[in-house]
Amino acid sequence: MARPHIEPFVDRDVSFKKMTLPGFPKGMHYKMLSMDTDTGASSMTVMYENGYAQPPGMSYADMELFIMSGYLESDEKRYTPGTYFWVPPGVHMPALRAPRGCVALMFYNYAEPSFVESDSDHQLAERDHLTIVNAYEDMHWTSTNFFPATASGCLVKVLRFDQRTQAFTFLYCMTPNFWQDNISYHDCAEEAYHIWGTSWMMQFGNLPTGGYFWRPPYINHGAFACKLGTLALGRTDSQLYNHFHFNPWSTPEENRERAGARMLAWKPELYRWIEQHGGHNHPHVPNDFEYDGQGDPHAIAHAHGVPHDHGDGHHDHEHEEKPKRRRRSRTK
Amino acid sequence: MVKVIEHKVSREVKAWLKKEAAEQKERYKKIVAEQEALSPKRDKWVADFLERIQSRGFNVHADMLRKIPAAEIPKKPRRKFKVVF
Ligand SMILES: [Fe+2]
Repeated sequence: MARPHIEPFVDRDVSFKKMTLPGFPKGMHYKMLSMDTDTGASSMTVMYENGYAQPPGMSYADMELFIMSGYLESDEKRYTPGTYFWVPPGVHMPALRAPRGCVALMFYNYAEPSFVESDSDHQLAERDHLTIVNAYEDMHWTSTNFFPATASGCLVKVLRFDQRTQAFTFLYCMTPNFWQDNISYHDCAEEAYHIWGTSWMMQFGNLPTGGYFWRPPYINHGAFACKLGTLALGRTDSQLYNHFHFNPWSTPEENRERAGARMLAWKPELYRWIEQHGGHNHPHVPNDFEYDGQGDPHAIAHAHGVPHDHGDGHHDHEHEEKPKRRRRSRTK
Repeated sequence: MVKVIEHKVSREVKAWLKKEAAEQKERYKKIVAEQEALSPKRDKWVADFLERIQSRGFNVHADMLRKIPAAEIPKKPRRKFKVVF
């Protein structure tokens, strides 16, 4: 399994632990919020002690960091609360210090947390994607711009948007007396951390300051309410669409099937094309010329982790990179 | 875009991951138990919600509301009502 459904979890209920992974400097503490047990990808609250100092370095997977209190500084700049970093794999950051301590959220998306001392970029680093922005000072709140949208009073600042998957990281707030009477689910996983404030969901009750969830796709959440206001950081792993409804008891399987039925209603041409081209002896996954070029469809299927067969009638087969997982063909 | 730069995962890192996975399992169990204990309150919240969407309305999109007719209100199925999966 990837990440389990962790909802709700309040990090105030547990203590910080010393970060003991090799490479990380002394003086870093963490609370694990959720972890992908296949890849080690992790979301953590981290606390840097007063006087913490980190040499220049990089990580093997992309890393997101959001400063909640205190600050980090390099020789050139001070990174105060609201600062958001998205650091691609292999991009090295300068030496950083936390003279008076710092508390932040830290996310590794595709592999376990890592830190490798280095004063230059790895040869595979794509530095042009490096993002550093102060969400409190340099950005304004906007409405969510989705259709269908959340109710007025839920506002966002989009910190990162992945053009390929439409995964995004955003700061959001709910104004005092916010309410929204519908139940939502998405085709993506959704994650959030309450920087400040308490909000309520009909399934899980109140989520206070320090509250967190990692919610896999198709799980009902809402109705929603917030009495005094909430400031939170949210993330998705692909496109977020609000599938609203009012059946409190529908299951994730029913929700997914409904999403499929809706897809057929919205994009019948595309739906049928995918259905026809997903079978034996056809490309298993549509080719995106922007990203895949005229790539080998089988390799593309692998890259996207899409179940497929090898055209030899063997639907269950194992791959070197994931020896433990057996995959069934969707054409079976 | 490179997602992960290939690297060796040391025994020390593997042990850390194993420990974290075990702790997460416990965390998950605790959440399931806590959410189970919330069931009576949740049933009341659900009843209130079903009442509000008939009287004030259901948020179709943003602040667009529709009053749901009683005939459309779903009935609670017999199966166990789970919210954590
Ligand atoms: Fe959501």
